Amino acid sequence: MDIVIATLSSPVILFFILGLAAAFARSDLTIPEAVAKGLSIYLMIAIGMKGGVAVSKSGFTPDLAAAAAAGVALSFALPYLAFGLLTRFGRIDRVNAGAVAAHYGSVSVVTFVTAVEILDRQGLGPAGYMVAVLALMETPAIISGLLLARRGERGDGDRAGGLWHEVLLNASVVLLIGSFVIGFAAGAEGFAATAPLFDGLFRGLLCLFLLDMGLVAGRRLIETRALTARAAALAILIPLVNGAIGTLTGSAIGLDTGSAAALGILAASASYIAVPAAMRLALPKADPGLSLAMSLGVTFPFNIIAGIPLFTMLAQRIG
Amino acid sequence: MVTTVTRKRVEILIDSALAPRLIHAAADAGIEGYTLIPVQSGAGRGGRWRDDAVSGASAKSIFLTIASEEKAARLVDALAPNLDAHGMLLTLSDVEVVRGERF
Repeated sequence: MDIVIATLSSPVILFFILGLAAAFARSDLTIPEAVAKGLSIYLMIAIGMKGGVAVSKSGFTPDLAAAAAAGVALSFALPYLAFGLLTRFGRIDRVNAGAVAAHYGSVSVVTFVTAVEILDRQGLGPAGYMVAVLALMETPAIISGLLLARRGERGDGDRAGGLWHEVLLNASVVLLIGSFVIGFAAGAEGFAATAPLFDGLFRGLLCLFLLDMGLVAGRRLIETRALTARAAALAILIPLVNGAIGTLTGSAIGLDTGSAAALGILAASASYIAVPAAMRLALPKADPGLSLAMSLGVTFPFNIIAGIPLFTMLAQRIG
Repeated sequence: MVTTVTRKRVEILIDSALAPRLIHAAADAGIEGYTLIPVQSGAGRGGRWRDDAVSGASAKSIFLTIASEEKAARLVDALAPNLDAHGMLLTLSDVEVVRGERF
């Protein structure tokens, strides 16, 4: 139960809950847009560099290769499971189900960053290479989602060009991989010079960012008209199933407890940055209001408050 | 007295992610000049929306251009089948412009 207490007493989580509560209370609290954008860039650089530095210390290990392979396989496979649930239980049409499924195969950087923060406090910090796994899991789900949504339909070459540019060069992939490589090249010694910014201020700025995310998620939830009760239920059921699969996979391939929990949390998380933009390009008929209400309005808060302790406890139990 | 001529003002509210495709369609209709204006929030049939800088996924823009009636009609014909699917809001109006040869 330590992890539950640690989660619910963490300033990061409490600021997120404050943001949610302010949104539900229809407070006029806002974080200036430029600040929020700057914070998201800062967090991706910080997490990328820290991961790169960690791998520069540990080197490329079999665990890293196994976690990367598992991450890519999960990102490809999880949308198929989500698609089945969305079409059968959720009664959602094929195009929308494909788009939503892609969100659930991909990952949320902020959920991962928050999980690392909580796991670190418990002495269960995941391996640095999990940042690389995070970056690798962003994209494969988009391919699976498109295949599911377009099953039996002819592709569109013109659309594919813009889509692949968006998928492979979107800001989060470029920043995460770029910062990871920079951290790897700089090593611990090189990182030390930038540590006051990227390490010392990290927790404080994460609180500010999570406050904004609470506002964004809460407002998304209260302003949507697309979310049905079944869709809302699936936005909790899918991360529960995906997270359990991810945690079990992590343990099965021999990852340490923290890394297995992190893989579970990655599998449970849903993208609300890279995938929505890609889906808007590739599947314009899909309703972005539905996928964002599910991934950002329901799944993201669920994972931040309940998913992180839940998958950590599962990893501890089976690890 | 400056002479003015009548041209069409085409205004399209569109998801920012789809704006490059719209710009391409306008160019195909012979419209090279345009202005893209980011917009902050609003409400429609799908509920309220706002541009959160974090996800950026629900960002919308207004595509604004002035064109001859013929070019504007070509653009509208090209976009009409996709107005629903792409969630666009298109309006056309007559405006008086100076230097009509530019549009």
